[in-house]
Amino acid sequence: MRLKPPHPGSLVALAILALVAGGFLALLQTGSEGSNLLAIGPYLLRVLAFSLIQAGISTILSLSFGVALALALTRRRFLGREPLLALLGTTMVMPTIVVVFAVLTVYGRSGWLAQLLIGFGIDAPLSIFGYPGILIAHVFLNAPFVAKIALDALGTVPAEQWRLASSLGFGPSQIFRHLDWPVLRAEISGLASLVFLLCFKSFAIVLALGGGPGRATLEVAIYEALKVDLDFARAASLSLVQIAICLTITLLLHGTLARPPVATTLRGAIPRPDAADRRLRALDFVVLSIGLLFIGPLVLSILTGFSHIGAITDLDLLQALVTSLGIAATAATLACCLALFLGAAARNRRIVLRSPRTAALFDLIPSLLLAMPPFALTAGLYLIVRPFADPSLAGLALLPLINGLASLPFVYRSVAPRLMLAEERYGRLSSALGLEGLAKLRIVDWPLLQRPLGSAFALAMALSFGDFGIIALFGGAELRTLPYLLYERLGAYRFEEASAIGLIIVLVAFFLARLSGRLSYARD
Amino acid sequence: MLAIENCHLSWPDFTADYSLHVKEGTFCAVIGPSGGGKTTLLHLIAGFETPQRGTLTFRGRDLLPLAPSERPVAIVFQDHNLFPHLSAAENVALGIRPSLRLSREERRRVSEIMDAVGLKDLESRRPGEMSGGQRQRVALARALVSSRPLVLLDEPFSSLDPQLRHTMIALVNKLRRRQNVTFIMSIHTPEDVRDMADQMVLVAQGKVLLSGSPAAVLQDPATQAASLTPKA
Repeated sequence: MRLKPPHPGSLVALAILALVAGGFLALLQTGSEGSNLLAIGPYLLRVLAFSLIQAGISTILSLSFGVALALALTRRRFLGREPLLALLGTTMVMPTIVVVFAVLTVYGRSGWLAQLLIGFGIDAPLSIFGYPGILIAHVFLNAPFVAKIALDALGTVPAEQWRLASSLGFGPSQIFRHLDWPVLRAEISGLASLVFLLCFKSFAIVLALGGGPGRATLEVAIYEALKVDLDFARAASLSLVQIAICLTITLLLHGTLARPPVATTLRGAIPRPDAADRRLRALDFVVLSIGLLFIGPLVLSILTGFSHIGAITDLDLLQALVTSLGIAATAATLACCLALFLGAAARNRRIVLRSPRTAALFDLIPSLLLAMPPFALTAGLYLIVRPFADPSLAGLALLPLINGLASLPFVYRSVAPRLMLAEERYGRLSSALGLEGLAKLRIVDWPLLQRPLGSAFALAMALSFGDFGIIALFGGAELRTLPYLLYERLGAYRFEEASAIGLIIVLVAFFLARLSGRLSYARD
Repeated sequence: MLAIENCHLSWPDFTADYSLHVKEGTFCAVIGPSGGGKTTLLHLIAGFETPQRGTLTFRGRDLLPLAPSERPVAIVFQDHNLFPHLSAAENVALGIRPSLRLSREERRRVSEIMDAVGLKDLESRRPGEMSGGQRQRVALARALVSSRPLVLLDEPFSSLDPQLRHTMIALVNKLRRRQNVTFIMSIHTPEDVRDMADQMVLVAQGKVLLSGSPAAVLQDPATQAASLTPKA
């Protein structure tokens, strides 16, 4: 009997697992004689407590504000609503280092709020470092994202149910209970897990706004162990704790990420019956005003960069821009290729071999990558390649690799369902016609894949372009990305230049995110 | 009597002009091709659409100024009639009191109507645990328990198989006689109601083209032209 060669997707899955395992083994081996979990007990507890508390509060605030904003937006129509919705949809790719800049500009010691208070004769020293700065930044980053998802969910209530509510005479409380809450509840657990995970793994915001070693998340502690103390064992121990916690959250989240997209809404032109309620009108006005007062100045602070762009157009900026674009494009290409291979393997197991359990393992791999601490993984891989390459060259190779792996969960979510759809529609026909491999990809899959894949590519590129994570390890005079350049300028208190660089990063990331959003509407 | 006189509705891609009279206590079947305006006619009566001109009265009372919940109208759709997080009995109870705070008498009414539609033992089931036919019975029960004299059925049984569809239409007819309610039902398969409907209405191109007894409407060349009955 002839053995069938393994599916290329299986080899890709094995390669990813080997890469992750190899990185951690290298880290553990290098630091095996150093500190262990017991030795860093009190330090670990302090870091862990801070990570959990700040992530918990950030999640509660982001969810409360985001859901309230979504409800207000779904009930109201006003001038500027559409651009606002577009803005909400792109905050997912807002680079964290730019958020740091915005928070410092508005709430910093000599920021806009401090100036305003002085104008009113109040000379109270404002300290943004620690919990206030971190929470403001996390809520600014996550609440609009929560609002966007919640708003989309609210839009899926079928038109018939709105007509029923109207016919049965539902009041505001019944509308919330029977129409809004059921769809919100379905989203909230997944959203809470995702926001908690993102805040728990927060790096740039905590590094810049934490205000010292006493305010470190596990991610920052791993970075400090690697970059400042060169203590690989401590980094490995901290990584194991982080992986254990993140894996638990990720497994909870997996169902949400792997869930197929919701069917298109049947919402007609029926206005919400509760839109006319006076109390809700007042409540929505308050929520939207708070949103405007909170988000408005932070967005404006980023836009001030327009007036300083002329002052920063030097060679450093050009080099950093080219490097960022190159790394982002490579990372996105890698993420798309990996997602295609894994998705093809999963559908092969699910539909052709009728083995949904092994298919689910392929689905799980991208989600598992969400749990990996990128610093520990990068450090491990760096230890492996160190004998063969200098740090900046290693950085150039590892940055797209780690960024590509980090965006794989999002890319996979776009690509895998489309591959399944193509197989369900044309699988038997292509088998009958003998279509396989590249021919099948070109004729059967590509027409259904091209827009979602383009959307996923743009999203992965946007995520990678604004990332300030791994570059913090490798960045320097020889290797600079735009976020790293911004970090340098912030550290040197060159805020005007920082504002211009921040604006460029945001514009590119938003352009890519908008492109991703437009392409995500499949035309089949 | 339900009276619709020259009700005009227009959108960029569709215009409708309806004139129709339906006697109280009758079973009126609305037939016509897809996209011809059957649903729009029902939405006009229910208050989901407002005409630019014309009159709409029931028992001599002008319905146009009334909100959907104030009209003497209950409606059943083809899909999405039930709230999935509520039990069958709770879905029915919404027809009496949206707050679901029912008195003992109201709870008794819910049980009675569940019994009448043949769902006595399924009161605590959620919609997800019921068949398509059972779900539509619950929706029908909710429409009836509200004691509104006019019940609109917007192709409620289209997704059911022919056998079940026939059973459901027979149930509607039985309940109509028992409760003395006026039913207006849009339907894709006129043959199903030929023997039960008192009145049949052909709606096409946004107009009531014919109104009369089922036999008369089904034999009319206009109905044949609308491809609603098999051609000889």
